[in-house]
Amino acid sequence: MMQTLAIFVGAYRELSARKIFWLALAISLLVVGLFACLGINETGISFLGWTFESPMFSTNTTSPETFYKLLFVNLGVDWWLGVLSTLLALVTTCGIIPDLVAPGSIDLLLAKPITRTRLFLTKYCTGLLFAALQVFVFSTASFFVIGLRGGAWEWALFAAVPIVTFFYSLLFSMCAFIGVLTRSSVASLILTLLAWTIIFTINISESIVNSGRIANQMEATKIESELAKTEDPVDEDKREELTSDLEKTLANRPTWDRAHFWFFGVKTFLPKTTDTLKLLDRWLLDGASMPSRNEESERGPQQAFGPKRVKRGEFQRAVKADEQSHSIWWVLGTSLVFEGIVLGLATVIFVRRDY
Amino acid sequence: MISSQNAMNNSAIDLANDLAIDLTDVHKTYGRKIRALQGVTLQVRAGEIFGLLGPNGAGKSTLVKIMMTIVRPDTAKGTVLNRGVGDPVALARIGYLPEHHRFPTYLTGRQVVEFSGAMSKVDRPTRKKRASELLDRVGMGGWKDRPLSSYSKGMRQRVGLAAALVNDPQLVVLDEPTDGVDPVGRREIRDLLIGIRDEGRTVLLNSHLLSEIENVCSRVAILVQGRLVAQGTIDELTSSSRRYEIVVEGSAPPWCSESASVRMIPAGQMLSAGIQGESCRLVFLGLDALGAQPVLDRLRSEQRTVIAAQTVRESLEDLFMRAVTDPTTGLIYRPGAST
Repeated sequence: MMQTLAIFVGAYRELSARKIFWLALAISLLVVGLFACLGINETGISFLGWTFESPMFSTNTTSPETFYKLLFVNLGVDWWLGVLSTLLALVTTCGIIPDLVAPGSIDLLLAKPITRTRLFLTKYCTGLLFAALQVFVFSTASFFVIGLRGGAWEWALFAAVPIVTFFYSLLFSMCAFIGVLTRSSVASLILTLLAWTIIFTINISESIVNSGRIANQMEATKIESELAKTEDPVDEDKREELTSDLEKTLANRPTWDRAHFWFFGVKTFLPKTTDTLKLLDRWLLDGASMPSRNEESERGPQQAFGPKRVKRGEFQRAVKADEQSHSIWWVLGTSLVFEGIVLGLATVIFVRRDY
Repeated sequence: MISSQNAMNNSAIDLANDLAIDLTDVHKTYGRKIRALQGVTLQVRAGEIFGLLGPNGAGKSTLVKIMMTIVRPDTAKGTVLNRGVGDPVALARIGYLPEHHRFPTYLTGRQVVEFSGAMSKVDRPTRKKRASELLDRVGMGGWKDRPLSSYSKGMRQRVGLAAALVNDPQLVVLDEPTDGVDPVGRREIRDLLIGIRDEGRTVLLNSHLLSEIENVCSRVAILVQGRLVAQGTIDELTSSSRRYEIVVEGSAPPWCSESASVRMIPAGQMLSAGIQGESCRLVFLGLDALGAQPVLDRLRSEQRTVIAAQTVRESLEDLFMRAVTDPTTGLIYRPGAST
């Protein structure tokens, strides 16, 4: 315990010695400060006294509490913590493992009465300290903003700390693996970003293909339903049109199913970075007084793969329901398996190497 | 200053055979070709300063790193502090300062020493107390709360020494401890090493500076191309080269070349008689002062002026050079491990 504590204290000193650590914290607080400056009233959204009229966002449609929760999840977590802050965290921490295995540094630690496995895994955990501190500061500041401005003291906001830290740990495990393999901070950073991009692309692709698959199913069901209703011979033209559409739709189904099977198969073995962050949606926005971001309107143009005969809102709810049909344990469990394998390989390399 | 009583506390490991390091048959091959160590056997007695010598790539650092678990040996029998190699109990009782160490430069000297103590499982009050004492002892008392980024190389070396001593070690392993230290600092470090030995600790010193080793080490080992070619006290290792030299005025006495005259020397053998300006140096191999008396008597009876008469032995540098020279070719072995 004494050694673990010493390594963590050392890691904190290392982080606090880096300007980027304080810069990231300052930006975090600035982002929350901007949230605090935003408000919602009867006519729309206000910012430092100015009001921007909005039919979608006003106190008539959205409570202040939900408004701030939406800001926190959609902008704060998804964009700031999920992208920008993560990039800063990777830049800051990508050197932790290469620095650990650097000649002259590793000698000092391996000569101590601590096993290599414990040393490596403890160092890995210190890398997560940065992300955890960032999210904690951001969540605490947001907690007060939502409490003071939105009138709701939402303790569930702090769920962002473990969720975002877990999300970061998925990326940092790859960073650690590359770091121990190449002993280079630059290689760790670049290859981790590349891996993240690939994972993100596969996630998005799977999401698009899944939307297409669901749209196909809904479209077919809708056409079948309309066909059943259209029994009048006067509507023969319409029946032909519906039958033709149904045949086309059913003809496309195997393609959508096959594409989804492969994308979903690949995604299953990869860390669920996007799905992990979406877990916050489930906890914070479901049950809120306002429909969440995917259900903001029943109107408006249909999405690229949306069914033509189904209302947009209905389709979006179906997609969201399908996304949420994957249990939390599937999202976290498969990601943990990936992280465990990557981290296990990195540990084996670290333990077996001569320095 | 840490007292001798304090130095050897209750948690000291009992060295049953009086050997701090007792390694046999240590082998290490890097990859498939580079044989860094080939059956090295090393014994370091408790309470001595032991010097490990060898040219670059001889395997010194590999041997030290194997003891400190930084490198994994192919085979390594024996013990370090009466425990198997890499035993955590033994590691907690070893202080180690590697060559080219890299302490984080954002830490202060005190933080470096305290971190080293924590990693060696020294409790907080003890390591705080020792950090202060040791930094004073290595002459860094005035700098202990400044970051390492403001230190010179020699100052970092001193802090490294303090960090190596914070766990109250029974065995101190130092790899080039005076690297980057000025002559005054070297003298201070040498005195520090002697002080450490006087406290009852064992010191394994790996250094290229032969004079440094000669001044402080009671025993040495020489590694060449992964093999131990010599081990013992400097006296033992140079005894075969011990000789008696007499310098007399004028040319060499004519009897020097007579076999009968040589036979008159009770124990010894004339090695050479060389002219040096207006004097002559007579060298007798294996002769001591007592055995040289008949020769001196004869020189005096011949009215020769004896300028100097003394027992001479090889210097450590001579011994080292002899060890690293191939006796068959007379050439110095190529640097590096054997392949």
